Amino acid sequence: MPVQRCVQDRLYQEAVGTYGAALERLARAYEADPEARRDLLQEIHVELWRSFAGFDQRCTVRTWIYRVAHNVGATHMLRQRRSRSRLLIGLDELENMPATSGENEADRNRALERLLDLIQKLKPLDQQVILSYLEGLDASAIADITGLSPGNVATKIHRIKNILTRRFHAGGQDEK
Amino acid sequence: MRNESPNPNMTELWQCQPVEGIKMSVEEIRKRATRFEKKIMWRNAREYVAGGIAAALLTSFFIQSHDTLFRVACGLMIAGLAYMAYQLHCRASARRMPAELGAANSLQFHRNELERQMDFLRHIWSWYLGPIIPGLVAFSVQSWVNGHTRFLVAAFVNAFFVFCLILVWRLNVYETRCLQKRIDELAKAAAE
Repeated sequence: MPVQRCVQDRLYQEAVGTYGAALERLARAYEADPEARRDLLQEIHVELWRSFAGFDQRCTVRTWIYRVAHNVGATHMLRQRRSRSRLLIGLDELENMPATSGENEADRNRALERLLDLIQKLKPLDQQVILSYLEGLDASAIADITGLSPGNVATKIHRIKNILTRRFHAGGQDEK
Repeated sequence: MRNESPNPNMTELWQCQPVEGIKMSVEEIRKRATRFEKKIMWRNAREYVAGGIAAALLTSFFIQSHDTLFRVACGLMIAGLAYMAYQLHCRASARRMPAELGAANSLQFHRNELERQMDFLRHIWSWYLGPIIPGLVAFSVQSWVNGHTRFLVAAFVNAFFVFCLILVWRLNVYETRCLQKRIDELAKAAAE
C-alpha cells in the first residue's frame, strides 16, 4: 500500500542523506558528459522520490534505492547508445582486450578515468554488478538488485576482480 | 557474506572519488516531478488535439458532401481516428508506474521494458496504422470511381502506399526479432 506523502518525503531525504554520494558516483558511471550527468542525477532523484510513493517494504530501502538508480541509469545509457551508437561489450570481450599496463598510472584521477571508461563499456547487467561491487555490496545484495542468482553474481565478481587486477595491477604495479 | 576484495585500492579509489554533493530539496523535486507529468500530459494532449482537428474537418466534409462514397470514406476515417484516440488513452494510462523502478530488479525491469516495446510494435497495426487504412482505401476508390484521378496515377499512388506499408511491416518484424533476442539473453542470464 502506498505510503503517505510525508513518509515519501522522509524516505527520500534519508535516502539522499545516506546514499547521495553513491548516487552521484553511479550517475558518473552511466554518463561521461558532465552536463548530461547532472541531468541524469536529477532524473534519478526525481524517480527515487516518485518511486517512494509505492515503496512496499518487500525489500530493504538500500536495495530499492540501488534498483531505482540502476534502472534509471541503464535506461538512460541504452537511450544514449541508440543516439550515439556506442558499442557495449560483455565480460568475455573485456577479458580479451589488451591491457595498457605500460603506462604510468600513479595518478589517481587518471586511474579513476580508466576505471570509469572500462565500466562505461560494459553491458548494463555487468555494469550493475561491477558498480555494486565497487560500492562494497555483498553478493546477495547484488543478486537482489540485479535479479541474477547469487552464484552467477559470485562468478561475475570473480571475473571482474581478475579483470581489474590484470588491467590495473599488471606487472605488480599497484596504484598509489 | 562480504565480497573479498583483492584490491582495496580499487574500491577505495571508487568510493573516495570527489563528488559535487548535489542536493535537491523536496520542494524542488516535487516541482520537477510535476513538470515531468505535465510534459507527458501535453504530449498526449497534442495527439488528441491533432486527431480532434482531423475528425472535425472530416465531419464537416461528411456533412457538406452529397457523394455517398466520399461520405463513407469520411465516416471510416472518423471511426478509425476515434478508435486510435481511445487506444492511445488506454495505453497512456497503462504506462509504467514510478514504483516499478524500485519494485523490479534489473532483469525484471529490462524484460518488462523490452516486452512493452515489443507489444507496442506487435499491435501497432491493430490500433495505430490499421484503423485508418479502410478510410484511406475508401478515399482512393472514391477518387478513382468519380474520375478525379486517372487510372495510372491512382495505381501509382496506391502502389506507393502499399510499398510504404510493407516497408513499415518489415522494419517492425526486424525490430521485434532484435527485441526478442534481447529478451532471450535476459532469460538466459536469469536462468544461470
